[in-house]
Amino acid sequence: MPPAATTNLGYTPPDGGWGWAVVFGAFISIGFSYAFPKSLTIYFKEIQMYFSVSYSEIAWVSSIMLASMYAGGPVSSILVNRYGCRTVVIIGGLMVGASMVAASFGTTIIHLYLLVGVIGGFGLSFNLQPSLTIIGKYFQVKRPMANGLAMAGSPVFLSTLAPLNQFLFDNFGWRGAFMILGAIVMNCCVAGALMRPVNMKTVQKHPVTASKGTTAKKSGSTENSANPEAGDLITETEQKQKIGGCADKLMDLSLFKHRGFIIYLIGNVVMFFGFFAPVVFLPSYAKGIGIDNYQAAFLLSIFAFVDMFARPGTGLIANTKWIRPRIQYFFSFSVAYNGVCHLLCPFLAVYLGYTGLVVYAVFFGVAFGMVCALLFEVLMDLVGAQRFSSAVGLVTILECGPVLLGPPISGFLVDVFDDYKYMYWACGAMMLAPGIFLFIMNYFNYKQLDQECLHPKRRERLGTSWECHPEALST
Amino acid sequence: MFSPWILSLQLILFPLFWRGIYTTETNPSLALTVPVTTVFKSAVLKGDSLVEKVEILKPIDLELACTWTGNPNKLPNITGYWRKDGSEITNSRLTVQLENEQYNLKRVFRITGDTLGNYSCIFSDTDEAKIDFNVAAPEMDDKKDKPIVAYVGDSVAMACKTKLPPNTWLWYRANGTEQELINATTDPLRYKISVDGNTTKLTVMNLTEEDSGVYVCSAIYNIKASVSRVEVRVITFMEPLKPFIAIVAEVIILVLLILLYERWSSQRSSHSPTENGVHAEPTHKLTREGNNGMDENTTTRQRKI
Repeated sequence: MPPAATTNLGYTPPDGGWGWAVVFGAFISIGFSYAFPKSLTIYFKEIQMYFSVSYSEIAWVSSIMLASMYAGGPVSSILVNRYGCRTVVIIGGLMVGASMVAASFGTTIIHLYLLVGVIGGFGLSFNLQPSLTIIGKYFQVKRPMANGLAMAGSPVFLSTLAPLNQFLFDNFGWRGAFMILGAIVMNCCVAGALMRPVNMKTVQKHPVTASKGTTAKKSGSTENSANPEAGDLITETEQKQKIGGCADKLMDLSLFKHRGFIIYLIGNVVMFFGFFAPVVFLPSYAKGIGIDNYQAAFLLSIFAFVDMFARPGTGLIANTKWIRPRIQYFFSFSVAYNGVCHLLCPFLAVYLGYTGLVVYAVFFGVAFGMVCALLFEVLMDLVGAQRFSSAVGLVTILECGPVLLGPPISGFLVDVFDDYKYMYWACGAMMLAPGIFLFIMNYFNYKQLDQECLHPKRRERLGTSWECHPEALST
Repeated sequence: MFSPWILSLQLILFPLFWRGIYTTETNPSLALTVPVTTVFKSAVLKGDSLVEKVEILKPIDLELACTWTGNPNKLPNITGYWRKDGSEITNSRLTVQLENEQYNLKRVFRITGDTLGNYSCIFSDTDEAKIDFNVAAPEMDDKKDKPIVAYVGDSVAMACKTKLPPNTWLWYRANGTEQELINATTDPLRYKISVDGNTTKLTVMNLTEEDSGVYVCSAIYNIKASVSRVEVRVITFMEPLKPFIAIVAEVIILVLLILLYERWSSQRSSHSPTENGVHAEPTHKLTREGNNGMDENTTTRQRKI
């Protein structure tokens, strides 16, 4: 029976029950967050003609939205730490909805940049962080599975939003479509409503520290009624440190001293340079070697379809007792596997033509799904669910750069060499190197952590949040 | 007897006479004999049939050359002839010889606005092998088969684009079978036409519902005009408003249902005795908190040290 401190949450998460409803809510939120900016590209041609701007000017809308979504990470973390997950997700949903409706009345391209790009992007980041955070609050044993299922929202929503957007555009033009999309995005508020704060009545607490609180309230409430002795004595600052649904310290910058966090950060920042570009350029590559438009688009559909199933599948595998204790190795493997796929892609395309690219799309779909499913799970594994909220905020803002710069740099490579294969090789290298780096560094990290587990006092002094006896945690 | 005078007169007259023979009166109606450029277009057929597009900007002489690699029989002589728009051109039948394992057929056509069409060269063996040449004015890029939706009081922009720039662009408003020219200068508050080489853009401002309909852009080339149609549908803001309100209502209803369910289930579990021995004070929390969920269902796992 693992002691409560091993989970470092201070309580034992339910690992089921209402948790699955929360996973569904996270599925919706994450789906909108990742799929929404990409699906807006359908309207660009019409808007471009309406406002008489060039394509690059209209493409800024998507870039600004994505940038705001990533840059809003720390803001989102702070708000989640202060007000809890549910409030932030509902506010995020309202923000995106309102911004889309306002944008449908816009008269210049600047309106779109501000409303859809900045406000919409921030609203989406208010959806993304809390969804990831609350999974860590609700699940411990089945967490990889829950993460995999929630992250599957992205490909599912992308596949659904694409034809839906086309339908809205054909029937209502871009203005009407934006208005209706604003309403559709408000379903994130429904997702937020599902994100009930965890009830911690069932939890074993340290009876001494009254400041930690013995109730399951979010720190949004100003009263700690459950503990009559501590009731009026609890100050505002102590409430912020209460273990609530999602309430934690405001922003945990001590993460930068966390060994595992730094390893993860370095690996991920390098990896993201080559992460999205292969997807973006796959249809163009196919058309470049002589495949027609429909078959090239079909490659993306295959990729998305495989991705949809790879994510929960990976979650399931990661949950097994063989993988869970050493899940970092699994993540490093999946990153390296991505790299290998990209390195082999040009050979497949040259020697097998369209069939080769279909094979590549399938393998890449699996690889992409694996990385996405594990991306936040390993972060939770490293820093613990308690500090995850701050960690994910810091990670997303630092990943903002590579995510935005990756496709343009790859495009530049394509233009310089006039051939896609160098770009794929570059992306392959950009993913293989971090994969190997993560593998090696995590080997050392695991060794260190195992040593520290043997000396609990040393662990507390170092301030690591590792969960020892990980074998006991998995089912 | 020929005095030098007469000789010099002859010398003067002779060149004039010489020039006179070779001076022809230029008949204005023969201006067409001003040399017309000849364009050469050739195609090689390996199978049974092939279609080629030939884009013409102005009246020219077009020489079409067909080459056929033949079928396994490779007869030394076959018949070749030409068709225009499906019907055979008279006196065009020739005997084609096999040269270098290929059959060749060539013909020059005078192409004007009236003689555009589909020209085919046919090699008649046991079967017929043909190459079709679609000789036409340049077509527009990006066909628009779906109507553009716009809103009352707003504006709408539509563009037409070709590969080769025409002499001029014209926009028409189609009313059934008639076409009415759109003049942006007489109506600058409503129409704006901009031309940029091989693209043109028509902007219709201050839309009303009567502006719905078909707009035609016409690229005028020397040979013929190339047209493309765009349909515009003007609707009011009421139309998207209805689904919008429906979806917002659905969101509100779902949120309320979820929160009510939460309150109901926490009330239910607060009325039933709790097994947890740490503490129990559900009712206070219910009244204090706004809409936050309280107690977990009794389905949660209980762990005891």
